Amino acid sequence: MNSVVCLLERAAARWPERIAVTDEQESLTYRELRTAARRAASGLLQAADSTAPVMVYLPKSVQMLIGFHAAMYAGRPYVPTDAAAPAQRLSRILSNLQPSAILTNRRLAEGLQAVDLGGVPVMYVEDLVQGAEDAAAVDAAVARVTDADPVYVMYTSGSTGEPKGVTIPHRGVLLFARWAEKTFGWTCETVIANQAPLYFDVSVMDVYGAIRCGGKLILTPEVLFRFPNKLPEFLRENAVTSIYWVPTVMINIANSGALDDVELPALQSIAFAGEVMPNLQLNVWRRALPGRIFANLYGPTETDVCTAYVVDRAFADGEALPIGRPLPNMKVLLLGEDGAPVKTGETGEICVAGSGVNIGYWNRPDLTERAFTADPRNTAWQERFYRTGDLGWYNAHGELMFAGRRDGQIKLRGNRIELGEVENAGRLLPGAENVCALFDRTRQEIVLFVETAQKEIPLRIARREMRGTLPAYMMPGRIVCMEQLPHNANDKIDRVRLTKWMEEN
Amino acid sequence: MEEIIAKLEAFIRELCEAEDDPEFGLDINLFDTGFLDSVGAMDVIVFAEETFGVSISQRDLTLYPMNTVHEIAEVVGIKKGLC
Repeated sequence: MNSVVCLLERAAARWPERIAVTDEQESLTYRELRTAARRAASGLLQAADSTAPVMVYLPKSVQMLIGFHAAMYAGRPYVPTDAAAPAQRLSRILSNLQPSAILTNRRLAEGLQAVDLGGVPVMYVEDLVQGAEDAAAVDAAVARVTDADPVYVMYTSGSTGEPKGVTIPHRGVLLFARWAEKTFGWTCETVIANQAPLYFDVSVMDVYGAIRCGGKLILTPEVLFRFPNKLPEFLRENAVTSIYWVPTVMINIANSGALDDVELPALQSIAFAGEVMPNLQLNVWRRALPGRIFANLYGPTETDVCTAYVVDRAFADGEALPIGRPLPNMKVLLLGEDGAPVKTGETGEICVAGSGVNIGYWNRPDLTERAFTADPRNTAWQERFYRTGDLGWYNAHGELMFAGRRDGQIKLRGNRIELGEVENAGRLLPGAENVCALFDRTRQEIVLFVETAQKEIPLRIARREMRGTLPAYMMPGRIVCMEQLPHNANDKIDRVRLTKWMEEN
Repeated sequence: MEEIIAKLEAFIRELCEAEDDPEFGLDINLFDTGFLDSVGAMDVIVFAEETFGVSISQRDLTLYPMNTVHEIAEVVGIKKGLC
């Protein structure tokens, strides 16, 4: 038995009475989490003998952790899904995923009424945890799983508007959790306050890091992230020892001045990823919390964290922070335009191989083939690797530096967004002849240019129209109407001119 | 209470440039409608604390819904012992 569910088996044996996870409503000990998950798994197994994934459609809660483990105890991958996702997105995910069951609760099930479920059974966690545990069936299902099998499928933004299901193997998560425990010095006294949604890969370290070391996972009330100046107070009251939050939140806290007012003796490790962390604000944190571990992590959903930099020296406010070195189970290579590795100091595309890398996009061999390469010209690597689309270079310390994107993918408040997906939603606006989405770096917002006879489409109206297709984090911050969008010599929309227009207005 | 509501409304309207926006109202969800984001929300709480001399803790923020002008005013009112 060597799958991610072993972490919970071990924690429940070693630390049965310690709190595993807590949200605003309830807390579960390791023993209780194990029992609930094994009961729910028994219900899943009774309903169907299948290895197809389980969609976990729940809000961020203790229930969601039960759902993940229920799927794993039933020998199936889990698919954490945004409980606020628009119906159209859910339908697309379901038709690609072909799950064996949807795990949800009664309160949320209403949201599924507008979705074509295609006959997939809907099961309620609150009922399943009341059922009996079939220990033999659960143990048999777990025994069938190897560490090369998928543990979860996470859907990310796809440029055509079709979400892509990144599929990660058990061994990737296991090795990552072990690395995190060692790097941050976690023990069963560790208290992790989670920020990332549980359907984003950033949450994987919080969840399985905590279970690996027998620590406590706090699902921080989401509303608090609207009030960054109150977050240090939350960390102090809950004696939080470890956080892994997106830079936007870290920046807002630093800018609020709240770190000056609160002593945080318990807080030992502070990690961040998902976008660039500016040293101006990181230095505010480092001055307030001297001697603590600060770590800049890097990795797309396809690899989860693949490189890390534990801050070990001073940086000037405007200086860039390295993204560091590959994790022990990962390899990183920088490839130039010609597909050959670049020379030291030169910029190349960051390519990643290793045990934590995406097995493939779920049911999309075409996309998988495009994103993964086993380049025969590259003698250093025989294994297939993932082309991230991110650019990087090595500094004089031998640390990897991030140098932006190759394509239309952007990061906004830590969320990965394909501008093509925003454009697809924009085309559905009434009266829109053509559209173009651009990212305004200065204002940190997406600008949607619409070719239309209308003089103006008010932002809130446009957002209402797109609510059915786009998740909230992908919504444009500005709508610009034009009688005609500019075209370049190749008769494509002239993004350069639109970018200039955007900067000037 | 009337005064608290009026001062909060004036501050929030100015903050999100909605002085004469017909969609603005005392009972609309300021977040769902896009009037406020995390930075704006924090400004509102700092304003309320300084203007009305109350302290709103992280516990209050998780305990009470604070999505509308009326809801924010009510928390200030509770803190001042008015409701």
